[in-house]
Amino acid sequence: MAAVSAQGGRSGGGGGSSGAGGGPNCGTGSGRSGLLDKWKIDDKPVKIDKWDGSAVKNSLDDSAKKVLLEKYKYVENFGLIDGRLTICTISCFFAIVALIWDYMHPFPESKPVLALCVISYFVMMGILTIYTSYKEKSIFLVAHRKDPTGMDPDDIWQLSSSLKRFDDKYTLKLTFISGRTKQQREAEFTKSIAKFFDHSGTLVMDAYEPEISRLHDSLATERKIK
Amino acid sequence: MVRAGAVGTHLPASGWDIFGDLRKMNKRQLYYQVLNFAMIVSSALMIWKGLIVLTGSESPIVVVLSGSMEPAFHRGDLLFLTNFREDPIRAGEIVVFKVEGRDIPIVHRVIKVHEKDNGDIKFLTKGDNNEVDDRGLYKEGQNWLEKKDVVGRARGFLPYVGMVTIIMNDYPKFKYALLAVMGAYVLLKRES
Repeated sequence: MAAVSAQGGRSGGGGGSSGAGGGPNCGTGSGRSGLLDKWKIDDKPVKIDKWDGSAVKNSLDDSAKKVLLEKYKYVENFGLIDGRLTICTISCFFAIVALIWDYMHPFPESKPVLALCVISYFVMMGILTIYTSYKEKSIFLVAHRKDPTGMDPDDIWQLSSSLKRFDDKYTLKLTFISGRTKQQREAEFTKSIAKFFDHSGTLVMDAYEPEISRLHDSLATERKIK
Repeated sequence: MVRAGAVGTHLPASGWDIFGDLRKMNKRQLYYQVLNFAMIVSSALMIWKGLIVLTGSESPIVVVLSGSMEPAFHRGDLLFLTNFREDPIRAGEIVVFKVEGRDIPIVHRVIKVHEKDNGDIKFLTKGDNNEVDDRGLYKEGQNWLEKKDVVGRARGFLPYVGMVTIIMNDYPKFKYALLAVMGAYVLLKRES
């Protein structure tokens, strides 16, 4: 369909990052040392197994992230992710404490410490479940747009998506929270993943990037009208 | 077709890059992969320690290794144990005990018990399928077992399930290979 013809039109070899943000990509890079650069494949076309649902969703999410961060130059906020990492790290810490204590003071004497660690671990697991279900939901990007005048608080853009198992309909939701008025607006689209991937499993940015931009602009322009 | 240059560690001929998922990740996501693996290991560990605390036994789940308790238990059965101090040990009960100096516990039936007023006991065991009692298995000069030798008393069992453990102990390479594959899968594949 449309995706395949776009694919045919692209020349081989230097196709590279000819998708959205071809310009900014060359310069942005990762700014890391040469070895890490060679290992990472950020800027190469994303090719995945088109039958693997989670790989498809991950690549669509990553590309949407790239568009927002590179094209619109927003700054990613890691608060949500850091929260989840902290909870997991604390849980593992309890487990390690239990392991070492039990090794140094064999069983019957270690009973109270063990009981405490086990209960704490499962409490942390409960907290983690609540955190991922209610606070994080399916949000995979929180980005800030710094106010150019430096006076107003940042505007926040959130991206969340869903793709059901064995389904081909991908829903991407963009939420805009104004820094000044604290108002929240959202826009979303649901499209079949076949519109964005060609038959070999490569994500065609030419088809995907305009969708993201359209979502973004629909939320941004509303603001200007008001 | 459009193949914009082969990338690094493709397996030749198959074009499959096992590190593909990892290379697309930033530092936080890499850390989360490691954490994910650690959490799976921790969950298993905590469940085991939790069982130890709940049952009071240092090894709450054991596998029957020999046929000395047939027809009650067969080789490969899984046994659930508890070791509460208040429970008295009476003749006829099935206990799992460890002989001093050996680290493999034995599961046999109690056939004789001597009990003092203060609760100290001495007991003798014998496997249902054995001709003689266990005195030959005890330490040199030991004729009776005491409460401290008991790992737990059998409360329930699952037939056949323990065969997996027996196979993995007989072929340790299989066990390590299995663990390595599972570990690699968790570490290398990106969670959605």
